[in-house]
Amino acid sequence: MTPDAASEPLPSFLLCYCTNLTLDELRDACTHGAWPPPGKERTGKLCTGCLGDLLYCLRRFGADASSP
Amino acid sequence: MSSDLSALLSATFYEKGDNHRIELIHQRDRAAHRRLESLDLALYDPEGKGLREVPIDTRQEILDLGALVGTVTDASPRVMVLLDARYDARIFPYRPHHYGFLHRRGSTAAALYYAANAVLGGVPDRIGATGLNNFETYIFLRRPLAERYSVLLGNPARFSTAEAQVTSYYATERVAQPVALPPKAHVEVPLAGEHAGERLQRVEIKALFRLASYVVGRRADSGDLVLFDHLFSYHR
Repeated sequence: MTPDAASEPLPSFLLCYCTNLTLDELRDACTHGAWPPPGKERTGKLCTGCLGDLLYCLRRFGADASSP
Repeated sequence: MSSDLSALLSATFYEKGDNHRIELIHQRDRAAHRRLESLDLALYDPEGKGLREVPIDTRQEILDLGALVGTVTDASPRVMVLLDARYDARIFPYRPHHYGFLHRRGSTAAALYYAANAVLGGVPDRIGATGLNNFETYIFLRRPLAERYSVLLGNPARFSTAEAQVTSYYATERVAQPVALPPKAHVEVPLAGEHAGERLQRVEIKALFRLASYVVGRRADSGDLVLFDHLFSYHR
């Protein structure tokens, strides 16, 4: 992720409706190299509906998106 | 709002001319009316353009989608309706559903009732889902078809384009149609009733992640709706 992409604001919202992961929590976890945060390991893997957005955001925030 | 609330995003499609009502999930007992914590409704045109967002009073039991869409001056003939609900899992221990009533105004066809498509949320860890490939399928009646069939697909994502493959199965042949949907976009994918002299038997949707999806049947002569239902999803 480039610094420009990291600083580009994205509105906060509920990203994963199954694990209650918000975009802010995802961003914080990626910023601190702590993705996935405890209890959020199954994000994207349950109903799968958020998976596309999850992969998009992981790439934007510089995390390894190969194994969300 | 408490962060330990559960969340569910459901989707349906409203078409101009329909009497289309959604019954909000609610439970009643002698002690209390038990309702969703909140519900926000949003409307999108086929290209994914947001048309309107409305916070819904959860004390309301029935939503008239025609009245809500009617307030949008440039609404397209078909809009995707997203229902974003928050609920207390102690009140709704199972994933709550909204239910739909659908009838074309002036149509002689019977009214249709359906469970609104739950797209995001409501699948707890205890389910143990491990697969990421998402398949949905629907098996058609074996009698001769007097209807035109299609699949309605919508992408509830905010950022990512969804790629899906809609495959129609016949006795020995199959026809695949690729679909790409930008965020919040939706499309009706027609299914040929016959192919190479063989009758349509089944349709399957394959996508990387779950989409809003319904199988639709319309009378061949009048176009009246005779089928509006969810497909059956399973994980591999």
